[in-house]
Amino acid sequence: MTRQERAAWLFVAPVLAIILLVLVLPALLALALAVTDYSIYALADLSALRFIGLGNFTDLFGTPLFWRALGNTALFALFGVPMAIGSSLAAALLLDEATVRWKPLWRVVLFAPYVTSVVAAAVVWQFLLNTRFGLLNYGLGLIGIGPVDWLGNPRASIPAILIFVTWKIFGYNMIVFSAALSAVPHDLMEAARLDGASRWERFRHVTLPAIGPTLLLAAVMSVAGFVQLFAEPYVMTMGGPSQSTVTVLYFMFDEGFKWWNLGQASAVALILFAIILLLTVVQTRIGRRYEWL
Amino acid sequence: MAGAAGLLAAGCARTADRPLQLWAMSYEGDYAPLLMPAFAQATGIAVEVQSLPWTASHEKLLTAFAGDAMPDVLMLPSEWVGEFAMIGALAPVPDPRLLAGLFEGTRAAGRYRGRDYAVPWSVAPQAQFYRRDLLAAAGFGRPPPAWAEWRAMGRALRRRRPDEWVFLMPLNWWDALFTFAGQTGAAMLRDRDTRGDFRSPAFGAALAFYASLYAEKLAPAMLSTELQDPFAAFAQGSFAIYPRSPAMLLDLKRRRAEIADNAWGVVRMPGPNGPGPASGISASLCVAAGTRRPDQAWALMRYLTDAPAELRFQHLIGSLPARRAAWTAPQMQAPVLRPFLDQMAQPARMPGVVEWERIRIEVQLVAERMVRGELSLPAAQAMMDRRADAILAKRRALLDTGLVA
Repeated sequence: MTRQERAAWLFVAPVLAIILLVLVLPALLALALAVTDYSIYALADLSALRFIGLGNFTDLFGTPLFWRALGNTALFALFGVPMAIGSSLAAALLLDEATVRWKPLWRVVLFAPYVTSVVAAAVVWQFLLNTRFGLLNYGLGLIGIGPVDWLGNPRASIPAILIFVTWKIFGYNMIVFSAALSAVPHDLMEAARLDGASRWERFRHVTLPAIGPTLLLAAVMSVAGFVQLFAEPYVMTMGGPSQSTVTVLYFMFDEGFKWWNLGQASAVALILFAIILLLTVVQTRIGRRYEWL
Repeated sequence: MAGAAGLLAAGCARTADRPLQLWAMSYEGDYAPLLMPAFAQATGIAVEVQSLPWTASHEKLLTAFAGDAMPDVLMLPSEWVGEFAMIGALAPVPDPRLLAGLFEGTRAAGRYRGRDYAVPWSVAPQAQFYRRDLLAAAGFGRPPPAWAEWRAMGRALRRRRPDEWVFLMPLNWWDALFTFAGQTGAAMLRDRDTRGDFRSPAFGAALAFYASLYAEKLAPAMLSTELQDPFAAFAQGSFAIYPRSPAMLLDLKRRRAEIADNAWGVVRMPGPNGPGPASGISASLCVAAGTRRPDQAWALMRYLTDAPAELRFQHLIGSLPARRAAWTAPQMQAPVLRPFLDQMAQPARMPGVVEWERIRIEVQLVAERMVRGELSLPAAQAMMDRRADAILAKRRALLDTGLVA
């Protein structure tokens, strides 16, 4: 090892040690827990702990609520990611227009929801979504749509939470997109305009390739975020009505921390990890094809 | 290793001069600080009270135990005492005098394997608060005591005011269903509490009656998260009947601007043929096994569960004393307390297994799906049994090996 390499290791060592201690080690321990039947009885007396191999996983696959949670999470991700990215991109494109005035003000206003507390915002949204007195139903009533029982109807609860989550998080990606949009080459845009490219063609062939890598990053982060959705259903609906908003993470929280079935909960965590890893690999493959990476 | 030992020593040094920690839920936690000045004056022991919300207290207490961060004294609903005693979180009651002169039946819930781990603090059976004015307008002086007439009263109220509801029973609160089940005498678990018994005719009758209240639109198919302020809904007349614990008396006192004193009354919950056993949350106080100051913790326990402190608490938050000596006090002769006193003589028996809390929640979730029309009555009962059996699987295995009594 050269002197330089030694110095490099020395600098990296503290960070590596922390990563080992707080990331790798707990992950390995969780892996170990996932093959045991750790439950509240084991908390009382460790002799009640047994090694059960893949028992937790076969148990999980036989639990209807787990499948339901997976399905709910898939719905959240499937609709939430396009909603979140679409709205942030749209907002960023609007803010990028030369004719828009008071841009810093708009940026602050649209970014504000992202930095408010989830719980406080959820309480306000519970009022907005109220069936009888809510602003949202009032607005829908004006255009002749009957009152929707947003948080009480198992079919409306996922859309209701999606609306809230999108409102809450779109500001972050909007700022990221704004930064990326300012890097779109002006001369290229001018040239396209002179060549007679339409608005859509300019967006498709000039803007999009320029912000491609940012879009990929936003997609990866949003997918990981939506698959791990927890706080919003926890605060707004407690997983209800009829467990229609129980997500995988909510299921894991209940199993692990509420009922102390840490073996089962660790198995859920591993499955969630595998799902997110798989989705990210697929996304990066797609990104590579478009040379965004 | 040395670092860890140092941290531990520092932790000990810090706890020695820290005030005694008391954790309690809901109103008990909110108002317990008012009891502390008198205790501090008499003993010189400072107490810090932390209030926990009911919805998060089970996980918070378990996490605190696992993380060795338990308070010195804690409140537990009596159904949880067995569970926390089993995991070794609680210290057994050292002095039998603490358990003398208690209300009938309250002591049994605090026993685990023949030892007492909890001192009953307050009893909170469920009764129904009703709107005198709304019932009078429909021709009722008070809610009828039998199920069929009670439901008929609901229909009459609903006919008069079709835009409002009658019964305030959110679908994620288990107390109404378990009160009905207690009244039909359903055992709910069988085979030494290792399997669900929700397919029994007794439980079926209770579940059918419960669901019929929603099917007839007498109660809304709503969760408590949707009813942001149940008390306001009752005060504004959106509901005529509100089954609740005596804690409601505190709300009625604090918010009397919203509802006049002569506009409400309280009677026992109806039963199939008149009032019977009803569910409720009885609060016990326990001392944590890991407390570093057991003498002070038991002194606080003795003070809080003594008749004078319980009466003061009754005055503050409406909770009913578990100490029988307190019941002769003049303040306990108030007519509004009469239904609770009568109800206390007939508590509903709940199975004493550590999994009960979870089973109760699962059963309520299945009941919710049935109310929403996703399941028929037999299918719901079968699903309740399946879920209870799955939760009790570990208990069955441990019973075979003799690890559980």
